[in-house]
Amino acid sequence: MNRIKTSLTATLLVIAPTVGAVAEPPNIPVLVPLTGFLSLEGTSQRNGATLALEEATARGLDVAFDVSDTATAPETAINAFIRATDQNNVVAMVAPMLGTQMLALLPLAEEFKLPLITVSGTAKITELGNPFVFRFFPGDAVVKRAHARYAVEELGIKRPAVIFQTTAYGQSGRTHLSQNLTDLGSPPVFEEALEVSVKDMLPTLTKARQAGADALLLHLHAGSTALLIRQAAEIGLDLPIVAGSAMHQPSTAALLEPRELAGVCAESGSSPISGGSPKVADFAARYQTRFGSPPDAFALGQYDGVAMVLAAIEAGADNADAIRRSLSANPYPGLAMTYRSDGTGNMAHDAVIICYNGTDRIPQVVQRYESPQ
Amino acid sequence: MLMAQLLLNGLALGAAYALVALGFVVVLNTTSAVNFAHGEAVMVGGFLAVALTAILPPALTGNAFLLLPLVLIAMAALGLLLSWVAYMPLRHEAPTSVFVSTIAVGVILANGVNALFGAAPRTVPPLLAGGPFTLDTAVLGTLTISRQSVAIIATAILLIGGLTLLFTRTQLGRRLRATAQDPEMARAIGINTTAMIALSFALATALAGAAGLLLANQFFISPSEGGTLMLKAYIAVVIGGWGSLAGAVIGAMLIAMFEVVAAVWVSHPVAEGLLYATLFAILLLRPRGLFGEAAGRRA
Amino acid sequence: MVDKLRLGDLNRLLLLAATIAVLAGAVWGSRYDQRLLALAGVYALLVLGYQFIFGHAGALSLAQGSFFGIGAYVTAILGTQFGQEFTVTFPLSILVPLLLAALVAVPMLRLETHYFALATLAFGQTVLLIATNAEGLTGGANGLPGVPGVVIAGLAIGRGTPMLAFVWLWVAAGALLSWQLTRGLYGRGFTLLRAAPLVAATLGIDTAGRRFTAFVLSAGYAGAAGALYAHTIRIVSPEALSFSIMVICLTMTVIGGRLQVSGALVGALLLTHLPEWFRPLQEYYLVANGGVLLAAVLFAPVGIAGLASRFGSRRSTPSAPLPPTKPVTAASPDGARLEVAGVGKSYGAIIALDNVDLSMAAGEVVGLIGPNGSGKTTLANLISGFDRPDSGTLALDGHRLSRLPPHRIARLGLARSFQTPLMPPGLSVRDTVALARSHIEGASAHQALTDISRTALSRAQAAALALLHRHDLAAYSELPADSLPHGVRRRIDVARALAAEPRLVILDEPAAGLTEAEAKHIATLLRQAADAGTALLIIEHDMNFLLPLADRLICLDRGRIVATGTPESVVKRPAIRQAYFGLAP
Repeated sequence: MNRIKTSLTATLLVIAPTVGAVAEPPNIPVLVPLTGFLSLEGTSQRNGATLALEEATARGLDVAFDVSDTATAPETAINAFIRATDQNNVVAMVAPMLGTQMLALLPLAEEFKLPLITVSGTAKITELGNPFVFRFFPGDAVVKRAHARYAVEELGIKRPAVIFQTTAYGQSGRTHLSQNLTDLGSPPVFEEALEVSVKDMLPTLTKARQAGADALLLHLHAGSTALLIRQAAEIGLDLPIVAGSAMHQPSTAALLEPRELAGVCAESGSSPISGGSPKVADFAARYQTRFGSPPDAFALGQYDGVAMVLAAIEAGADNADAIRRSLSANPYPGLAMTYRSDGTGNMAHDAVIICYNGTDRIPQVVQRYESPQ
Repeated sequence: MLMAQLLLNGLALGAAYALVALGFVVVLNTTSAVNFAHGEAVMVGGFLAVALTAILPPALTGNAFLLLPLVLIAMAALGLLLSWVAYMPLRHEAPTSVFVSTIAVGVILANGVNALFGAAPRTVPPLLAGGPFTLDTAVLGTLTISRQSVAIIATAILLIGGLTLLFTRTQLGRRLRATAQDPEMARAIGINTTAMIALSFALATALAGAAGLLLANQFFISPSEGGTLMLKAYIAVVIGGWGSLAGAVIGAMLIAMFEVVAAVWVSHPVAEGLLYATLFAILLLRPRGLFGEAAGRRA
Repeated sequence: MVDKLRLGDLNRLLLLAATIAVLAGAVWGSRYDQRLLALAGVYALLVLGYQFIFGHAGALSLAQGSFFGIGAYVTAILGTQFGQEFTVTFPLSILVPLLLAALVAVPMLRLETHYFALATLAFGQTVLLIATNAEGLTGGANGLPGVPGVVIAGLAIGRGTPMLAFVWLWVAAGALLSWQLTRGLYGRGFTLLRAAPLVAATLGIDTAGRRFTAFVLSAGYAGAAGALYAHTIRIVSPEALSFSIMVICLTMTVIGGRLQVSGALVGALLLTHLPEWFRPLQEYYLVANGGVLLAAVLFAPVGIAGLASRFGSRRSTPSAPLPPTKPVTAASPDGARLEVAGVGKSYGAIIALDNVDLSMAAGEVVGLIGPNGSGKTTLANLISGFDRPDSGTLALDGHRLSRLPPHRIARLGLARSFQTPLMPPGLSVRDTVALARSHIEGASAHQALTDISRTALSRAQAAALALLHRHDLAAYSELPADSLPHGVRRRIDVARALAAEPRLVILDEPAAGLTEAEAKHIATLLRQAADAGTALLIIEHDMNFLLPLADRLICLDRGRIVATGTPESVVKRPAIRQAYFGLAP
């Protein structure tokens, strides 16, 4: 009986959050979806995070990390989280793109007092008053405002069609996009939800045309975005297209011929392959060398986020709480933009609009929407 | 004219689904076994084409018509392997064991491709490339006819016709069917049932490869897509009547018509809901599918 | 009393191992271990439920994952939007899927094999579609976060050990319920229902009713599992309804074992942990997981627990002999009157029966003869209720038969043997015959729950043993019936038909394939039954067997009665002599 009591006590002691264990390097587990329908974005996330961590290790900073797949289900993310917290001296975590998984992890982050570094766009994750979430990609509230403003203010769109995916990404983006369009005086005349498995876009394009839409505003994943753009080009649908952030990913553009992309624009947090500054170009080159593929904005955002955590560690923050305080209090000049918490964990407040000119698959940044702060 | 365009698109999509469903039926017809890895085999066919395009000289791969035989051969070999690993050891066990063995193979294929190629959707060259690859369309009035759509429909017609001939007119086809209906009896009259089963897996997986190649150009292909394709093939085969070739094609067309034509009047989610409602109605009225059963039910 | 059918010694070991694993995890496990064990418990409950419909009833339902998701959503919606506690949400999470299952079961369970599977799949996809798109109610694809933990009367069950213990408490309850339901006479009947549903029906087993019960039970278990899942994960999204949950459940059931409680636990524990063990392989970990799944099903196609049963002790401890509910007689004292009037039946252009009249008195032995395809089996099928006549009436003791399902007709006193004697796989001869006593002993799900000492099974077995002695089959009583030679199986089939204390028995070629001595013995037993009042309708080609036994012969040809009368008068007819004795007219 006594023995059981002792082991129970021991177990309880283990369960109590271990903060600042001695002699262990700070540990930043990387929890991202590497299998399932969001594995493309998750892989970018992983690459961005590991690049930052590897470069920090190379310059002598003692940090530990390992990568876990969270697949698509919330329970897999929770399993990975708990598994990661069984390691010593976890000071922060790279948390998955997938909004549902973020929502599942938030209570745990609060319970374990661990900052989560993510690029998930789902608006809701920073609306719950959780002080442990830090988003290094402009959330839907930011990018969808840019999306709507560009369409209405620059393109003069009056009757937009909003086409979105039936996933967390799509539904959250649609809510903000439609709201912003309405606020700007151009409410959508047509809205449709598409399953990821929808192959033929003609019905949707037909309905949008019949509704009298004067532009297509997309908030779809990579495959659906490319399918829709190609089919629109194929039937000669002469409407401007402003796509969601999936369009800016180089692998999306790779599915299309440059001429099919002519005139297509998209919102994003950044566009690392478009260059812009020598630092970003250098990042893109290093990334290409390391992973054999060009980076996207998710990779850059995640890179910046992890770099900010590492900078905090280098500045002396040696535990989860110190890192959390540092992230929420200080601005950080990242490669894509300057990050600064708005008090709810939104770190990125700038969005860009990129457009393709029809001659290649490298988009140009045509508009930058800086934070109003 | 819009209707004609929608029907044409629906036909092309249905033909692609029919190709997916056909391989599924072929295995079903010889073994009465459900091959849950079939969707993944289609996906592997697409990625095989991606890999071949990357490693072979462009002169060979610029046109999927030249790629097709290579994919067919490699996929037939994969089919043999599949039958040897996942079916043969379980042929005398409950049919549900084969569900799980093929589910396991599907898991291996999907995640293997994901690890090797990455998760991004990919595309492959069109079947008949003359000059520029895409936007390869003819315009008839307001009707846009893409070469790839025509190629998919033509390939599907050729393969369906070929299969029908194989099963109804040739000695080999009769042996395949005899193996399906009563393996004991087939063996008794001197048919090498093991060879027939292996052959049907090779044939089915080669068909899956063709489907993957055609789908990948028109609709892209990604590693996680096998499951969705499998569901569609399964639905097509059951509403058509378990084991009926013609039924599977009609079933595939029905699914495509809901996705393309019905979706013009209602939203996509509602169209999908209507498809399921139609399924229920069909099953209530015809509890054994539209065309009755062709395969022996030993389950 | 020790269960001896399904829980061989090795299975008890498996059960013990699972219990130890969970207990050890609860006491010494890390948070991560406990988390996986809790999740394994949730899946174990799901699989225990799935075993009813997929394992016992043998129907491939693809809706189990959906009932799981529905249960999870009920808990999530009530918990987050209506602030309800566990004591309200848990019962409703079970009840809603259960009622939904009952609702859809009526049209769906009519379908066979893959059509049933497709219908359940389409049901699941429809639910998923609604959950994804009804954003107001379900939170759409994001799902409903913030599902409260389990709180019972103000007492909160915390994460970690308490939640682990709580989940496994429900698993234990579910396992106990499942075990009790399936270990008696009622549970054993499912073996026959899977292998030979028509035989089961002629023995008075309500096959449709049992499938319904199994389907609804499986949905209830799934709902409970879903509710616990919601409390463990604290967020419910469409992932809970996705087909992948169904695939996980199916895989756990096949790998663990389709029928055994230990199989559900082992399957769930193993498959929850398997991918986690492979995590060090990085992007190839799911490939490795698939490889092990494949190896597992190749190594143990009947599942781990199924394999354990095969190797487990087959020696059974003899049960205490209990007297049967009713004394076993060869037949009940009062025979039944069969009235067939003007019955016609055609299949397409083929007329199988044309205006057939037949009446039989209690205790009468009627031989039904005629060439192949003359309509003998069709007539037997119409009387048994397998098929409906196009015209005419059939009545047993004044009860109209044409609207009754086979099991109801069986309960009116009809029994039947078949041309091919079908024996459920793996069941002993004694139990095979005992199953015919199911409705006499009142076997039902309700009885199975309350009959803790399994008296119904013991009584049925005692009756079966007595009957086997009378039929000279006692030596076979402990052997698996499906492994015996044809002649023995045919005799078992006849014994089984008589075991139900029928008032009318239809025998389809009872002497085919028997030695002369065996046939003679059967004839004696049948004569005894007839003398006791049972009416016998015997389809037979063997005149040496039939002539001394039958009181009356009826000859069918192309669906019409061409001759009727005493055996002597019928065989005198030239046509009959030619057909049966090869004599010139």
